[in-house]
Amino acid sequence: MSLKYFTIEERLNANAWDVDVHRPHIRIKDPDKCRTCEKKPCTYMCPAKCYVQQGDYVVLSTEACVECGTCRVVCPHGAIEWNYPRSGMGIWYRFT
Amino acid sequence: MKFDVAVVGAGPAGLAAAYRLASSGFKVVVLERGREPGAKELYGGRIYAYWLDKYLPEFRKDAPVDRWVRKERVSLLTEDKALTVELAITQKEKTSFVAPLVSFVSWLSKLAQGAGAKIVTEVTVDALVKDEKGKITGVQSGSDVLQAEYVIDAEGVNRLLLERAGIVKKLEPELVAVGVKEVLKFENKKVLEERLGLDEDEGLAWALAGYPTEYLPGGGFIYTYKDSLALGVVVYLKNWEKLKTPVYDLIEKFRLHPYIAPLVKGVTLQEYGGHMTPVAGINMSPPRYYYDGLLIVGDAAGFLLHTGVLIRGVDFAIASGVLAAEAIKEARSPSAEDLAIYEKKLRESFVLQQLEKFRSADRLLSDESLFRDLALLSTEAAYRYFNIDHNQRTLFEAVREASKKTRVNMLKIMINMIRMLRSL
Repeated sequence: MSLKYFTIEERLNANAWDVDVHRPHIRIKDPDKCRTCEKKPCTYMCPAKCYVQQGDYVVLSTEACVECGTCRVVCPHGAIEWNYPRSGMGIWYRFT
Repeated sequence: MKFDVAVVGAGPAGLAAAYRLASSGFKVVVLERGREPGAKELYGGRIYAYWLDKYLPEFRKDAPVDRWVRKERVSLLTEDKALTVELAITQKEKTSFVAPLVSFVSWLSKLAQGAGAKIVTEVTVDALVKDEKGKITGVQSGSDVLQAEYVIDAEGVNRLLLERAGIVKKLEPELVAVGVKEVLKFENKKVLEERLGLDEDEGLAWALAGYPTEYLPGGGFIYTYKDSLALGVVVYLKNWEKLKTPVYDLIEKFRLHPYIAPLVKGVTLQEYGGHMTPVAGINMSPPRYYYDGLLIVGDAAGFLLHTGVLIRGVDFAIASGVLAAEAIKEARSPSAEDLAIYEKKLRESFVLQQLEKFRSADRLLSDESLFRDLALLSTEAAYRYFNIDHNQRTLFEAVREASKKTRVNMLKIMINMIRMLRSL
């Protein structure tokens, strides 16, 4: 019963969701913009760590997205296309 | 099938509108993209009752309430110190309560259904449908179009539909913050009550500034549910560049702060989420709240009031939903001219009056030095006052020493205190 750091993966695993494998609801429109983006705010501000920097690029995985929409607002280059997930798909909050 | 009113989003605002309209005999449909009402919703944790008594008095009878708040706590937190102010109410007042939003919304949706509103879940609305004159005549989901005399947009802060309809511009980082939240479950409610110093069924609302956001605008929060608590941080999007820690780690740093960690040791993590919150109040409102065939309610309209410590969203959402319903009931047609009565009602109610009153709160709260100065100076001064050595200090000496040590300008902090007294 010590003080335990919950990794982001552990935290996301506590959630329930229905992943739309056929059509991710977020898309990077222009990966070249991410490559030249110095600061990459998405990697800091996404609560679900959907954006990870790899080399110059940003790798996006939408499976565990909590659907806050922050990435689209904080992206300085308008490089992110964001839709609501298809009907019923995505995160399913039960306790918040 | 044609409905009188189509409501987009089964949140507090949308459901309150649907309930009122259905109760008056309107044919209402609520379209919700989640699997159930509340599935896509997340908030801090507390709902204010005072205005609900006017707009949704039914809640007193049977709405799910985890705990009535009788302790208000505010802390200024640094790496190794905390200065806490607590207001405890000893009589059994019932003025605000803590409950998961999911439970509250689920109750509200049953109320609306009971009144005859049709709630359709797992439908994602992609666009508002306009006729050639620009009047909103329905909503579209995929290739399906649903016609309605009136449309109520209750889609929430992330207002894609209003954007696509050309009513609002894309959200700017200045207008919103992101809240990140964990629901932490205790072994049982007794353990939670003992740790947080609460009587049975007594609730706590706790706002913390300084350390939780690396001294940037925003802060941390804790609300006690029945046998779990909500813990989170809120960060203004515009300040992200000054953050040293990504938000998903920031919340864990806050939870594991030596002042907080003992309270939550041994808990299990029940849920983790994130949501944007409108911090700019009416500064993020659309140009108008009504258009031909359309009314805008709740977060989508910017109806959230926050003063740093007090945050009110759900009661504003419900009031705006109810007022939109009243406006539709009184309007002779869905023309913007007739629906202007909605704005009139908003202005006559607490919704716009309160938001106007706190219009300048956002500018002060987004002042980067505010929380840093307050947290650093006040904790250091308190430490010097209480920590007796060869010299017992007067309060003034303690503050002056703290000012020297933390390099926080006393004049500046006094000016900010006056600004806070006036605008928060």
